[in-house]
Amino acid sequence: MNLLINILVLLFIPFLMIGVIKKTKAFWAGRKGVSIWQPLWDFIRLMKKSSVISETTSWVFQFAPVVGLASVLFASLFVPMISGNAIINVPFAFVIFSYILGLGKFFALISALDTGSSFEGMGASREACFSTIVEPAFFITLASIAALTQNYTFDSFKLILENAGGYGILIVVLAVVTLFIMLLIEGCRVPVDDPTTHLELTMIHEVMILDNSGIDLGLITWASAIKMLIFESLIANLIIPASLGGWETALAYLAIIFILSIVIGTIESSMARFRMTHVFEFIFIMSITALIILALVTYRVYGG
Amino acid sequence: MEIYFLSLGMLLLGALLSIVVKEQWKFKVCSVFSFLSAGLMFIPAFGVLFTGMPIGRTIYMSPLLTGVDFVIDPLSAFFVIVISLMSFLGTLYANGYMKPYLNKGMNVSSHCFFLMMLIASMLMVVTVQNALFFLIVWEIMSLSSFFLVIFEGEKKEVIKAGIKYLIYMHLSVIFIMAAFVLLNINSNSLSFVTFTNYLHANPELSNIVFLLAFAGFGIKAGFVPFHNWLPDAHPAAPSHVSGIMSGVMIKTGIYGILRFLFFVGLPSKMISYTVLIIAVVSALYGVLYAITQHDIKRLLAYHSIENIGIIGIGIGVGMLGLAYGHPVVAIFGLAGGILHILNHSIFKELLFFAAGSAYLRTHTRNIEMLGGLIKKMPYTALLFIVGSVAICGLPPFNGFISEFLIYAGMIKGVPASEINLFIVLVLSIAALAMVGTMAMLCFTKASGIMFLGAPRSEYVENAKEDAPKTMLIPMTVLGFFAFFIGMFPQYIIAGVLSPVSMFANVRFAAPVFEGAVGLLGEISWYFLIFFVLVGVLMFTRFIVNKRSTKHTTWGCGYDRPNNFMQYTASSYADLFVSTLKPLFKRVSHIKKPKELFPKEAYYELEIEDIEEAYIVKPLVAWDEKILTKFERIQNGNIQQYILFGLIFLILAIIGMVYFGG
Repeated sequence: MNLLINILVLLFIPFLMIGVIKKTKAFWAGRKGVSIWQPLWDFIRLMKKSSVISETTSWVFQFAPVVGLASVLFASLFVPMISGNAIINVPFAFVIFSYILGLGKFFALISALDTGSSFEGMGASREACFSTIVEPAFFITLASIAALTQNYTFDSFKLILENAGGYGILIVVLAVVTLFIMLLIEGCRVPVDDPTTHLELTMIHEVMILDNSGIDLGLITWASAIKMLIFESLIANLIIPASLGGWETALAYLAIIFILSIVIGTIESSMARFRMTHVFEFIFIMSITALIILALVTYRVYGG
Repeated sequence: MEIYFLSLGMLLLGALLSIVVKEQWKFKVCSVFSFLSAGLMFIPAFGVLFTGMPIGRTIYMSPLLTGVDFVIDPLSAFFVIVISLMSFLGTLYANGYMKPYLNKGMNVSSHCFFLMMLIASMLMVVTVQNALFFLIVWEIMSLSSFFLVIFEGEKKEVIKAGIKYLIYMHLSVIFIMAAFVLLNINSNSLSFVTFTNYLHANPELSNIVFLLAFAGFGIKAGFVPFHNWLPDAHPAAPSHVSGIMSGVMIKTGIYGILRFLFFVGLPSKMISYTVLIIAVVSALYGVLYAITQHDIKRLLAYHSIENIGIIGIGIGVGMLGLAYGHPVVAIFGLAGGILHILNHSIFKELLFFAAGSAYLRTHTRNIEMLGGLIKKMPYTALLFIVGSVAICGLPPFNGFISEFLIYAGMIKGVPASEINLFIVLVLSIAALAMVGTMAMLCFTKASGIMFLGAPRSEYVENAKEDAPKTMLIPMTVLGFFAFFIGMFPQYIIAGVLSPVSMFANVRFAAPVFEGAVGLLGEISWYFLIFFVLVGVLMFTRFIVNKRSTKHTTWGCGYDRPNNFMQYTASSYADLFVSTLKPLFKRVSHIKKPKELFPKEAYYELEIEDIEEAYIVKPLVAWDEKILTKFERIQNGNIQQYILFGLIFLILAIIGMVYFGG
């Protein structure tokens, strides 16, 4: 049952989420905007189209989108979604989670290099470089929370408040900030990357998939939307209290996804993306919040 | 145990036979005999690994050595299996790799001889339990690998790298000797069993002995700051030798460290932290410099440092677990570290072999000159990508399993009793995560630039066909192992837990073992799900996909793309390297374009190892400055030499009279 609901969630919510972001941006720009179902129609149309493949490429290029999608779908099994429970609940889930996403990223990177295009190499270089800073911060956050709650799965997120005493709210807020920055980086949103820009030189993720078209592009857009949803689900997990019942959890989850999408849309409407050199400074905020979480947990466990 | 000696005999017989047979047959003889030896060696080794009962035989050699114990305990058995298997695959690969050299009419007798001697000496290093004999076989191992490195000794950089290697190995042996001498004068014996008993009874000596041994074996293994020989020696050696050296030989250093850990029994907190911190630094340092390298074998050599670091992290975590009396942490850490020994030897050998195949066909190791090799050498490219995914520690390949065990150990240890343990473990977790992502950056660079995209120079045109079968078969076997261990770790882990149980208290160990096997079995199922998912999606993609047309790569509307417009390895790494500027020493050679119609201009960027630039080179310069003062003594005059000898003798006699008493 849980699995069936999750499949439905993974089929529709990612596109709706992108739709809401687009609608929000249209609202701030004073436009009417497209329907929130438009990303789903776009996806279906892409699946029907024939594709153009670069002569330079090899099997890697066609294999990568499939692995990318499989890796995010597989990673989503470890994350508690609408029902509040993960489908696979295994200790040290976040290690498997990160590394399986890493596999998708690995193939995305080499598929970008496979086209032999200078733009795509550039995008791959940036993506690879950013993740070297993102992952350690993510692991510090998760390990600190595991230490605090003595729980090694993503369920630990729900146990922060009862274990952390007076610091609970602060740790939750910092964790939300960390994961939100990670969401912006991994989802390639403003201010790290601008998914709607026209200029190849300033892109990160979009430039890596310049040569993908048709079904490949469809799979990639779906995969990146799911990836965003996964990180939003992690944030939702931090916020939703464990005491809520089944229906309340589901409603709270949907509400949080909706609010986060509006926040992302608002951020995109209110600021421009950073210059590439400043992106690093932005990402380092994540490392700092992670280290503050570590410090708070240390103080909580050993100090007070 | 007789089988063990028979197996060693096979290797020595092969070594002697390879000298006398015809040139074309030499490598075949090597492979056949190392195959026989490996097959024979597996019988006692697997037996010991599964029963956990050590077997041994004492042989009386000479009054000086007294009885030499040859013992296969689970730790030795594990190393024996890794060494036999990987060396056999290496000799098999050599058949294809050395063919062009044979065709050129080079003499390979000594090469074959030392190859077999290297295998035999490695096997003896991990089974001998007598300090003096250990040093003898250790030295044979170092020397025979030295001769293998300088195979192309007519090249200046090869001989230079070889001598550097030799010097480092002798530094290493000084420390090891010191550790053994210290044990010998205290326990009055050469036998390892006595050492163990002595250190258990007198733990106050164990710190200094372990640190000396760690320095000595660390040089062999390539821990930072003793790593400097690795990035020079590996590119100089032929690929099968690099594969064996990086995959197996440097692991004898790890064996030494584990053996001394066994002597010590219960490590102190101080040495455990030392090992963990040095290992973390090595892992980060190795991968950081690997990113800057463009010589594929140099890049892989730096990755050996990284992986030795990861193994060290596992061992360090295990030691901390022992020191703090936390069996789960100890077992997971040690199991991860020891499994990573096997895993690293598999994928590193695979990568060295694949890089060697590319070198054999294209005649260049510079990845900037390559590109698009996947079209000419599809199998090599596939295997290189498999190796790359495995070395990055990505599932479902073997690197993930060992890193996962190490993570599990660290995370289990995190709710720690002591604040410094907590902080160190959390930061090590972050460091290991960072190492993983940096390895990903490095290997997307290596595999993407070498094998994918369009050719960057005429070197690629040299490659007419894929590597010969004798080279592809060992690579396929290695690729299969990497995949199998990644997919079904629960069947392999038993072999690793057996050596681990030598260190951990068995009473605590059994439930933890079951937990570990169960956890890995569960993960194996999840990976199967992942595989089904990939398969289904791949199938659907091909069903749904209408039609694909071919066109040139999108170039912003520019329709005449040029191969030189591709991203290069330097530019791919540049964003990262320039972000971490202070950690590198950048040496650039620039010739700027001048005048109205500039004729030539070039820019070359070289990144030097900071340890070499700021520590080793000044030391060597200082050394040279002092030693040149003694040049006058060496004047070629025999009479004077005899005089020196006499003076030395007189001094020695005086010294003996005074101090010898």
